Amino acid sequence: MAARVAVLVFPGTNSEEETVRICRDVGLDAQSVHWSQAKTLPQYDAYVLPGGFAYEDRIRAGAIPAHDPMMDYVIEAAENGKLVLGVCNGAQILLEAGLVPGTGAVRRPTAAFTKNAQQHFICKHVTLKLAMDPSRCAITAALDRDELIPAWAAHGEGRLAATAEHLQEIVDGGHLAFTYEGEAPNGSALNCAGLVNKRGNVLAIMPHPERDAWNFNHPDRREGSNVLQPSGGATLFRSLAKALA
Amino acid sequence: MAQRTIAVTLKIPDNAALTALAALRRLGVDVSRLERADVWKFDDEGFTPVEERFEQNETLFNPNKHELQVLDANGPRDGEVWIEMLDAADVPLRMTGASHARRFTSWRLFRKGKDPAGASHVRDAAEKLLCNPAIERAIFRE
Repeated sequence: MAARVAVLVFPGTNSEEETVRICRDVGLDAQSVHWSQAKTLPQYDAYVLPGGFAYEDRIRAGAIPAHDPMMDYVIEAAENGKLVLGVCNGAQILLEAGLVPGTGAVRRPTAAFTKNAQQHFICKHVTLKLAMDPSRCAITAALDRDELIPAWAAHGEGRLAATAEHLQEIVDGGHLAFTYEGEAPNGSALNCAGLVNKRGNVLAIMPHPERDAWNFNHPDRREGSNVLQPSGGATLFRSLAKALA
Repeated sequence: MAQRTIAVTLKIPDNAALTALAALRRLGVDVSRLERADVWKFDDEGFTPVEERFEQNETLFNPNKHELQVLDANGPRDGEVWIEMLDAADVPLRMTGASHARRFTSWRLFRKGKDPAGASHVRDAAEKLLCNPAIERAIFRE
């Protein structure tokens, strides 16, 4: 039986459709779970927090949803070892919830994906590089060590920022999961595109691999090629599916 | 050189403040009303007061929805915390011509009616929600 994956929908989430679709494409039983259905969350095997602007990014990106009742369940599930993947706004929420890098207490963030260096929204195709051994994180365990994952960076607040002390903890603790190939498009510290927690079951990445999961949304697709063929971004979700098999 | 502190508030309902109020209550902070403002501290050498230039800048100020107030206080008032980004760019300098400026988000907490919240409540609100110390600094009333 396929593993059940909850794709969380907060008020303002906008990437749940493509996230559910790619999860189903790789064989997972994925469902959107609306914020009014929080009590159903314990029945799922894993959780994906998709992109968007949850609660309109009020106060800070991810700050309000990190305290939403849905996150009570996600935090408990993460503490029990279930897998949690956050993409873009989902990643911002995981940082505000203190789940990644996880070097402080829950809901006491030690880092943030904050305003881009250029102080405005960017939308740019990027390539993600693993910055750790794939086995360090259950969600990446089925990736090759030199795997390159295409994705779209589409954010105004994707720059990793933290105090020098906390950045050092990220490096020393092996929390740097993905970097950008080449220069970060947003001035991110450590060239960071993604972070993992200590236990390796919670992964937060800023760019959207689910938006480069089929040939039709890959920028270099050849004319006439099958637009519904899986593209490189699907690789990460295949690895998630293998971890849940 | 003149120093000026101005606060820009919304005339229209402040949805961000309402959301923050609901979140703070859920977190157990005893607060009945929450006001938000953008506070700017300028060191200014201009011939015209910086608040006049600010009000004329269409990027920073929309008279249909904003109100500008020159503050007497040079720091947070009772019940108030100012949140400052640790590495914010000095965007307003280019726009206002001021020689130095700092920008803060002001959150003012009230317990009942016009009674400002106590210092411990303000600190509680900042620690639980309003300030991410990884990227921001909270400035409290001295």
